[in-house]
Amino acid sequence: MATKSLAQMRPKERGKITKVGGSGHTHRRILDMGVVPSTEVTVERVAPLGDPIEIKIKGYHLSLRKEEAVQIYVEMIER
Amino acid sequence: MTKKLNIALVGNPNSGKTTVFNNLTGTHQYVGNWPGVTVEKKEGTCRYQDYQITVADLPGVYSLTAYSLDEIIARDFIVEEKPDVVVDIVDAGNLERNLYLTVQLLEMGARLIVALNMMDEAGGRGYRIDLEHLSYHLGTPVVPMVASRNRGTQELLGQIARIAESRVPPSGLRIDYGREVEEEIEKLEDLISQSALSRLYPARWLAVKLLEEDEEVTKKFKEGNVD
Repeated sequence: MATKSLAQMRPKERGKITKVGGSGHTHRRILDMGVVPSTEVTVERVAPLGDPIEIKIKGYHLSLRKEEAVQIYVEMIER
Repeated sequence: MTKKLNIALVGNPNSGKTTVFNNLTGTHQYVGNWPGVTVEKKEGTCRYQDYQITVADLPGVYSLTAYSLDEIIARDFIVEEKPDVVVDIVDAGNLERNLYLTVQLLEMGARLIVALNMMDEAGGRGYRIDLEHLSYHLGTPVVPMVASRNRGTQELLGQIARIAESRVPPSGLRIDYGREVEEEIEKLEDLISQSALSRLYPARWLAVKLLEEDEEVTKKFKEGNVD
């Protein structure tokens, strides 16, 4: 199955998180907000130059910086 | 005779904590700073039956991992001040994310009430929440609220009084972290239970925090509370 980073996904694409990389406070905060492996995400909107990225996760919307999104890996879910 | 109660409101950012706080305390509130830090501290009082209740509005947090000042303030207040009741304000439209904090509060052994706020919005989105089922699994009372319209405030006060009066210790939800982790927790718990810190905090909670390499808890141990 195709694996990508969140930063490579386009609007309306869906995937299941497989890995959340990174370290430190931002990493921890992202996990605390529910961005954890096996959770489904949908990309809602992507700003010009791919930064920031708005995702929908666990029923709410969250904006991520590109530098955070590149460390989050997802398995694509076919539509 | 007036009975005094201390309660704390805790919850995710934008879960409506401050609205609940205002509903409870009305104009009887004041704003200061937490000792030593310039983070706003709001406290207020309210009366209910024979109770004089002091309400602390803690900073909005997603978790109590002590990675930010807000989280440290909220966590220290709960473990050190030991409020009679902790009210966890949960956005009913965002249960999955909000319940993470709820679980952390239960692990800390807080005497908890879950206030399910924004029930109207959750209903509008088509969510139907089985309150009894949720209450059963969490082992806490669950009070549905619409704080923006001051609904549920009396029911919440009723539960606060009931929980404060009950001498039953908090259920202290216990999560099974799997065999490997549990073995380590058990070893640490044994060591911790001989230390002075275990009189202040639940030993199991300290053990889990040490395994997480929680900076604050690790520091407390290094400060010479244990050998």
